[in-house]
Amino acid sequence: MAYDWIFSALGMTDACKTDSGPLLSLSSLRNEAPNPWDLPFPSLDTLNEACAAFPKTRDFTAALEDGFLYIRPALRTILDPLTQPLSWALDGALTLFVEMPWWILVPLLILVAKLLSNSYKVASIVATSFLFLLFVDYYEFAIQTLSIIFVCTVLCVAFGVPLGIAMSRSDRFQNAIIPILDMLQTLPTFVYLIPLIFLFNITEPKLYGLAIILYAIVPVVRLTNLGIRLVDRDVMEAVTAFGLTDRQKLYRVQIPLALPNIMAGVNQTIMMSLAMVVIASLVSAPGLGTLVLDGINNLRLGVGFLAGFGIVLIAIMLDRVSKAALARIDKSNKS
Amino acid sequence: MALGDVKISVQNLFKIYGHNPRAVQDKVYDGIDKSAFMQETGHVLALNNINVDMREGQITVVMGLSGSGKSTLIRHLNRLIEPTSGQIFLDGTDVLAMDEEALRDLRRRSMSMVFQKFALLPHRTVLANTILAPEARGENIKQAENEARKWLARVGLEGMEDSYPSQLSGGMQQRVGLARALTSNADVMLMDEAFSALDPLIRTSMQDLLLELQRDLHKTIIFITHDLDEALKLADHLVVLKDGYIVQQGDPQEILLRPAARYIEEFIQDINRARVLKVKSIMSPAKTKRGCGDVVRGDDTLEAVINAHKGRVDGTFAVSDPNDATKIIGKVKMEDIYRALVRPQMQHD
Repeated sequence: MAYDWIFSALGMTDACKTDSGPLLSLSSLRNEAPNPWDLPFPSLDTLNEACAAFPKTRDFTAALEDGFLYIRPALRTILDPLTQPLSWALDGALTLFVEMPWWILVPLLILVAKLLSNSYKVASIVATSFLFLLFVDYYEFAIQTLSIIFVCTVLCVAFGVPLGIAMSRSDRFQNAIIPILDMLQTLPTFVYLIPLIFLFNITEPKLYGLAIILYAIVPVVRLTNLGIRLVDRDVMEAVTAFGLTDRQKLYRVQIPLALPNIMAGVNQTIMMSLAMVVIASLVSAPGLGTLVLDGINNLRLGVGFLAGFGIVLIAIMLDRVSKAALARIDKSNKS
Repeated sequence: MALGDVKISVQNLFKIYGHNPRAVQDKVYDGIDKSAFMQETGHVLALNNINVDMREGQITVVMGLSGSGKSTLIRHLNRLIEPTSGQIFLDGTDVLAMDEEALRDLRRRSMSMVFQKFALLPHRTVLANTILAPEARGENIKQAENEARKWLARVGLEGMEDSYPSQLSGGMQQRVGLARALTSNADVMLMDEAFSALDPLIRTSMQDLLLELQRDLHKTIIFITHDLDEALKLADHLVVLKDGYIVQQGDPQEILLRPAARYIEEFIQDINRARVLKVKSIMSPAKTKRGCGDVVRGDDTLEAVINAHKGRVDGTFAVSDPNDATKIIGKVKMEDIYRALVRPQMQHD
């Protein structure tokens, strides 16, 4: 027992005695002198050996869980109504996209692609991808995935852009938010599924909706902040010198000039939402992710491969359309 | 407010950059060395006791080298920079005591600004850029655009209203900047090295344009430059800054003929005295034409007089009032004119 001496020195030997009594270790039975090579770090578990009343690591994790379960009902009463609209939006979009006949929806999407990108090439990419998906009977899954991405992206932009604007106005606020963004971006996605599963029913759409939004919102927040901060300082000085209010500056100067960066953020957000699709399917999201999971779980390689390819096709479509829209905004700024 | 009255009065203005400017202000005295101050206190002394009166309808030129504080000074006038201490009065009102709303109003209505690097909004057309001030005021856009078209034509940009700044050359962009300032209809125009980024020929034509506009508009113009020729050409009142303090200020002809410090003497070493000095600066006062030959105007340059008399080296001339050709204000000998062309010995050390 390497660290007995700490507790004896502190006079805590009595306090350390628990009902079960201290566990005996072989080296203490043998009365061996402690060997420097084997000296363990005074971790929770090691100190527990020296003093049984000291918590073990297992106790620590159990306490975390207990704490979370304790506040869970309170959290649920707050969070459930707040996030219910997300469920409705996801359900609504799913129904809408799935119920619409393909001969209305697909031409509509091709038309939208043409309008946003102003390019026949992009529209034809969209058309070809959909024709392929229709042909291999993956259309319904693809449309489900598309509807989820659509809702999540709209919400990411609706919350992310104002947050980015707020960050751009205050260095202190920025420094407070950046660690949260870093954490959201680097935390493995399974890890923040855990509290979400605790909080919400696994059958509710808001579970995977929140997971996707939390993962995908980071780029649009960062790039909005960056875009606004990068607006030419001379231009900002000029509009201040002519007496524009903060609001006039934001809407007439900062946002228009930051738009290329914001659009780049939206593009990245869309891509990151798609990256979450398979994990979202783990928690009941419909769409191509379910097919990929099916392929993994049942070792149906072809199904998994084709579904993965379908996700790639959707990614390419969304990427090309948003990049072309971005290029158009850039051009109208520069020309 | 009449022409010639004091429009802007800067009094005891100090600007110190650092983490505790107020505390170190007591250490500043007249003639303190800027780098010594930096070493001792870790603060930058940008403006040291500035006192200037800028009169209505006149062009006040603030001239100095880089680091002299001229850009800092002009930005105090519309409070883009806040001072450490001092006062600035516009038409008698203390600019530094204004709250945010009053300050914004000041910037929208009373002062306009032209920038060295043009500072146009790249995502807007020339016309949309020009109406910035009336737009900020909330005025009717159509009316503002009509006004703007008028000014754009006046500066020579007719037909370019729907172009974007990136399609224009530097000279054209600065004309837009000028039109933008004129469209605001403010009494005061602040010009921060407005022509320094332009090539020499364009610069000359812009200076001429400014003087021509000023003849009609009589705005109160505060002009910053590091170019002595430009300063001499434009200034009604010249202020020379060095390291944040005023070395000399006054009528430019005065400064040329009676420089108050070595710094000024060095500065004016290489100017073309024939082209810059005016007859009225070297004449002796007189009321009649008696004893004189031809009449020359008071604001003729020495070069003009020499040219007009085809290189003659003798003769005495009567000098007439620049505003009234019939009134005689002085007389000048040709030999005085020639003597004035030569650089004087440096008096100061």
